[in-house]
Amino acid sequence: MKTDVAVIGSGLAALAAARTVQQSGRRVVLVWPGLSSLYFVFATVDVLGYPTATAADPIDDPAKGLAQLIAKQPGHPYARAGMKAVEDGTSLMLEWFKDAGLAWEGSLNRNFLLPTATGAPKPSCLAPASMTAGDLRRPEPIVLCGFVGYQDFAPELAASNLKQQWKAGEVSAVRVTAPGYGPDRLFTSIDLARSFEDATFRDAVAGQLRDKLIGDGARVGMPGVLGLTTPNETFAAFQRSVGHPVFEIPTIPPSVIALRLFDRLRKHLQEGGIEIIWAAPAHAADVTDGRCRSILLKAAGHELPVEAASYVLALEDWVDGALRAGVHTVRDPFFHQPVAWHKVPTDRAAESLFASQPFEQIGYALTDRLQPADENGKPLARNVFIAGGAMAGYDPSGTKSRGGMAIATGYRAAKEALAA
Amino acid sequence: MITEEFEPVTDTVEEEASVEACTKCTACNTVCPVARSTDIFRGPKALGPDMERFRSPQEAAVTPGLDLCSGCKLCEVTCPSQVSIQEYIRRAQNKGAREKGRTLRDWLLGHTRLLGRFGSLTAPLANFGNSNPLFRLLMERFVGIHRRRPLPKYQWLTFERWFKRHARPVKPRRKVAYFYGCWVNYNDRRLGERAVAVLERNGIEVVVPRQQCCGIPAVVNSNMDLARRYGHENVRHLTPIAEEMDIVASSTSCGLMLKHDYGHLLDIPDSERLGAKTYDIMEYLWMLHEAGELDLNFETVPMRLLYHAPCHLKSHGIGYPAMRLLRLIPGVKLEEVDEGCCGISGTFGVKVEKYDLSMKIGSRLFEAVKAAGSDQVLADCETCRMQVEHGAGATSAHPIEILARAYGHG
Repeated sequence: MKTDVAVIGSGLAALAAARTVQQSGRRVVLVWPGLSSLYFVFATVDVLGYPTATAADPIDDPAKGLAQLIAKQPGHPYARAGMKAVEDGTSLMLEWFKDAGLAWEGSLNRNFLLPTATGAPKPSCLAPASMTAGDLRRPEPIVLCGFVGYQDFAPELAASNLKQQWKAGEVSAVRVTAPGYGPDRLFTSIDLARSFEDATFRDAVAGQLRDKLIGDGARVGMPGVLGLTTPNETFAAFQRSVGHPVFEIPTIPPSVIALRLFDRLRKHLQEGGIEIIWAAPAHAADVTDGRCRSILLKAAGHELPVEAASYVLALEDWVDGALRAGVHTVRDPFFHQPVAWHKVPTDRAAESLFASQPFEQIGYALTDRLQPADENGKPLARNVFIAGGAMAGYDPSGTKSRGGMAIATGYRAAKEALAA
Repeated sequence: MITEEFEPVTDTVEEEASVEACTKCTACNTVCPVARSTDIFRGPKALGPDMERFRSPQEAAVTPGLDLCSGCKLCEVTCPSQVSIQEYIRRAQNKGAREKGRTLRDWLLGHTRLLGRFGSLTAPLANFGNSNPLFRLLMERFVGIHRRRPLPKYQWLTFERWFKRHARPVKPRRKVAYFYGCWVNYNDRRLGERAVAVLERNGIEVVVPRQQCCGIPAVVNSNMDLARRYGHENVRHLTPIAEEMDIVASSTSCGLMLKHDYGHLLDIPDSERLGAKTYDIMEYLWMLHEAGELDLNFETVPMRLLYHAPCHLKSHGIGYPAMRLLRLIPGVKLEEVDEGCCGISGTFGVKVEKYDLSMKIGSRLFEAVKAAGSDQVLADCETCRMQVEHGAGATSAHPIEILARAYGHG
């Protein structure tokens, strides 16, 4: 399989890289080892929510926060990607979302503060239009609505947490039934999202909400299940039927909001003639004389070499195999280089689940051009560039910066790959 | 004291991904076409890695809804941890069938070659019966084959016999062995003829070695012992040939059996050497193209074509070589119809109790095909083609038939 640029990964970084190459007119092939974090975790694009993983106050203006971070930490992956990559990458993605028919809002100069499914305010830079009425910088009272028998969103829990962390307005919780769902049925967000595309179901839910005597001016927070394949129409129709501003809250994986984004972008790439090789995990890079000649995929029965002029390795996360941990050593899956060593494996994790996790910081050391570097700072391969979660030296969860990093590095890595 | 570097497992992807590798991310459930279409199916996560923890050799394997898994393997394609989700379900289905006993219908559907032999010998009669409403009513009542499911036509002249009389090209550049499969042999000899024509046009001599049914019909009808027997037979016949030349298959699922499932699902020893030399025919032709050996003197084919990627093709992990190849042909307007599983899953949609579910799974695809209004729907898999013809009223073809046409073999 031959191409100009091969992008390995299915997350936001890989999609941003693929889009960048597509727009340059060069050939790109995407390689997916299954579906990654974007598919089931992402819902918003968080560029920079907190200046550090332990800071208490969220950032209002991510562009300003980034400028400070870059000035203070020149080794940070954001600093290596550069402010221009953040800006250009973000506009590339926002334009792409629009082209693909996805309604998204936001700018680099202002974070939304959106409630999570457990009722925590989370700073996010870009978000689907269906979420932004939940912005906690606005004072209107909030009614959180769940479904009887639906386990993935507890409005009572979210409301009680939110009350403690948000003093600007009133919060309450209600539950409605999911019409046609029997008491014995186990159901997920996906089931509800499919049902919401049916007008009868949607209106029956809205009718129950109207009967709950929601006060004037209140907004209704729903779990993120308002439609799967036709979310724009489903959301608008439901909001009209409820008669109050409605917003969605992303649920635990599989997040329907993420799924909509992913499925739409995937189809849009494929409609544009971009090939995706699915179900083939990449397991080695063939490097001679400092250049990567091919990436070897494990296809059924044999090894499939993907030969490209340059490569963007954009696996997002531990979950999709960006890094592999042995008892002491963590290695990368392409060059099989040790990227971290721990005498005691538990040193990789902090005791508290909510603390900044040391394993988040593990990843490739990078050159200034986002090439993976050896211990002397020399590139492991001149024509390979890293994007997304596998970079060393930052904590995407703690600083709420996973999406912004993915886009900035995906964009920058693709630009480097095109220039290589 | 652990101070020395000691690494029992560093590379989990290269190891067999066990149930322990499942992170419960639920990506599999979101793509499962059966779970999408019925609320009594609990999804691949629950029936695969979750239930697997509770299955022991002593306990009954039967779980409610287990037989509703159609075996499309999209769950495995989607899994970011490479867990063999469907294989756990498949093994449990097989164990269940052993415990409960197998129906005559499932026994018959697993014996494709036997049916093919009988069908082709009695071709006019078999085809008459298969399209006769009264006979179909009786078949539904007494065998369990849904009366509205069109059954494939049998042909009297098999591909095997046609090939024996076929003149070989002189001075070939290469040789390749063709695994034609039961479909080409008993139901669609013309497809085999065109595959041979395309290969020969490119200076390749086609060898047709002795072969048995690949075994997938037996696997999907919970008869893994039979599939294993077939697999052993194929490994015995084909491995010596694979030492000398590549093997190509024109049926997606036959190819996947040879490449992957003999070793992985059926534990047939020494099958890896055969798998490593087996290619999907479109994959093989694309490799030929990248090596600069594909004859690009195509005639213009002015057709609007719609490509449906079979689920099992996704499991090959090779992308869509058919789309790449067809885009080389002048005049071809090709689009992908990206609506997921067609629903038939081999013999799944033939069964009386599964026909409606099978049609419901395929309904999105049928609507998209009807709306697109193309000249022909292309799919590498024969049962996908049957389903699209039945559900969307479209005509269909294997992508290699378009290549054959571009080479002047109408």
